[in-house]
Amino acid sequence: MTADRDVTAAVPEREGTRQHFDETLEQIKQDLVTMGSLVLENVRRAGDAMVESRLDLVEVVREVDDQVDQLYLEAEKLTFETLARQQPVAGDLRFLVAATRILYELERSGDLAYNCVKMLARVDGFPQHPLITPLLEASVTASCKVFAQGIDALADLVPDAGAKLDAADDEVDHMVSELFTVVGRHSFEVGLEVAIALSRVGRFLERIADHAVNIGEHVTYTVTAALPGEGHNATADEDGG
Amino acid sequence: MNDTTETLSVDTADMPPDPTLTAAPTAMKNARETPEEAGPGVIETKNMDVFYGDFKAVADVSMNFAFNEISALIGPSGCGKSTVLRSLNRMNDLIPTARTDGEVLYHGANIYAPGVDPVEIRRRIGMVFQKPNPFPKSIFDNIAWGAKINGFKGSKADMKDLVEGALRQAALWDEVKDKLNESGLSLSGGQQQRLCIARAVATQPDVILMDEPCSALDPIATLRIEELMLELKENYSIIIVTHNMQQAARVSDRTAFFNVELDTKGQRTGYLVEFSPTDQLFTSPKEKATEDYITGRFG
Repeated sequence: MTADRDVTAAVPEREGTRQHFDETLEQIKQDLVTMGSLVLENVRRAGDAMVESRLDLVEVVREVDDQVDQLYLEAEKLTFETLARQQPVAGDLRFLVAATRILYELERSGDLAYNCVKMLARVDGFPQHPLITPLLEASVTASCKVFAQGIDALADLVPDAGAKLDAADDEVDHMVSELFTVVGRHSFEVGLEVAIALSRVGRFLERIADHAVNIGEHVTYTVTAALPGEGHNATADEDGG
Repeated sequence: MNDTTETLSVDTADMPPDPTLTAAPTAMKNARETPEEAGPGVIETKNMDVFYGDFKAVADVSMNFAFNEISALIGPSGCGKSTVLRSLNRMNDLIPTARTDGEVLYHGANIYAPGVDPVEIRRRIGMVFQKPNPFPKSIFDNIAWGAKINGFKGSKADMKDLVEGALRQAALWDEVKDKLNESGLSLSGGQQQRLCIARAVATQPDVILMDEPCSALDPIATLRIEELMLELKENYSIIIVTHNMQQAARVSDRTAFFNVELDTKGQRTGYLVEFSPTDQLFTSPKEKATEDYITGRFG
């Protein structure tokens, strides 16, 4: 809660009386970062597939998401085992509880990336459109930027990650809202089915960034014990797909 | 202050009243009836130092123990937590060189004030020890004896009621009701410890001090004692010293963490680091030293 709290307290780096436990905590953190990087890469890949209408990438996105799901199961198992066997308290407890939540955020984000290319495949590719395509690309870029910031905050255990990501997320909301307006205006040109697919994709991109904001809040909790305040803008049941 | 040279392995019931000491102040006599008039907590220490001869065992302890709560004292060996506990009912008086400075207020009255009867203090602030220590007498007499020594004047039937009531409060009645004349030593370790709790309860204290009460017990017996503590706090304030941090986390409302430091003369003196609500202490302790200790990164 206080600004001067030792940032390294959650996952101490020094070798000490609980070296094995510390290594396990570090392992879990590494698993989360690895999983986050895979998801980020896959969101970018899904973005390329949509912007360039590359249906060949749909299968690749699916395969990588399967890897993400596999990592999720392994990291979750290790986290639960550690909770059960080590009876962690204080910073260790906060980190492990946050880890179970971050795992969920990452897994859902991976699903949303795959949902994007499922939309693409359903309409047999998105047409190139002078207004829509650049906005779609900008939305993907904005969403990836926030997501990357979330993974960095996790890797570095940034104390005020929650607030920083919450602010960064506004850009994504703005882009997606633009995309939605333009797609609606030009729905006759691209066809209704494509317009609906594009608007859903916009929603998925927005949700991916929301999950990154949640990751930021979990990181803040880990480091400072501060729980997210009111205005927690993402809830699980809002996920589309 | 050092009124007797008895060993430490005695509790409330074990000590005869000392007629040379006057009765407890009025504030204490009516303590149970009007606790709210006596101050914020049932026991309050103010800048308490405890010495053994020249050696300062604990320094400057100021704590407020709330009514009907379980307070746990944790910390590494030598941090003075047992010393603090024993100072709360003048059990340290039994050590010839021990001296307590500062104040220990019980219902607002200083138990170290001149004229306070330590035996009366120990009747009101009972104690349960690490090793179950029933008297080598029958289960019935283990409880009845303490009550008699403390001036119980009722009939035989009253005494039976008292024994049954104490055994029920200690969650032992159903297990021993058909063998009250058997030796207290015939019981299992966990049962013996509950018998000691019944013996402490029989003198009608309002505070029970427990010094590592489960460290000699197996996990099941330990959980039974913990369950019993949660029941007892309805009627008593409980202060427990434990090496088992999970035990403090499971049962206590507030936890105090004591640490130890070396002074310039190389003496190890214990001090209070943090006294916080238990949920807070085990999820987000205020002090880095607390975090290091409870997460096992101590020393």
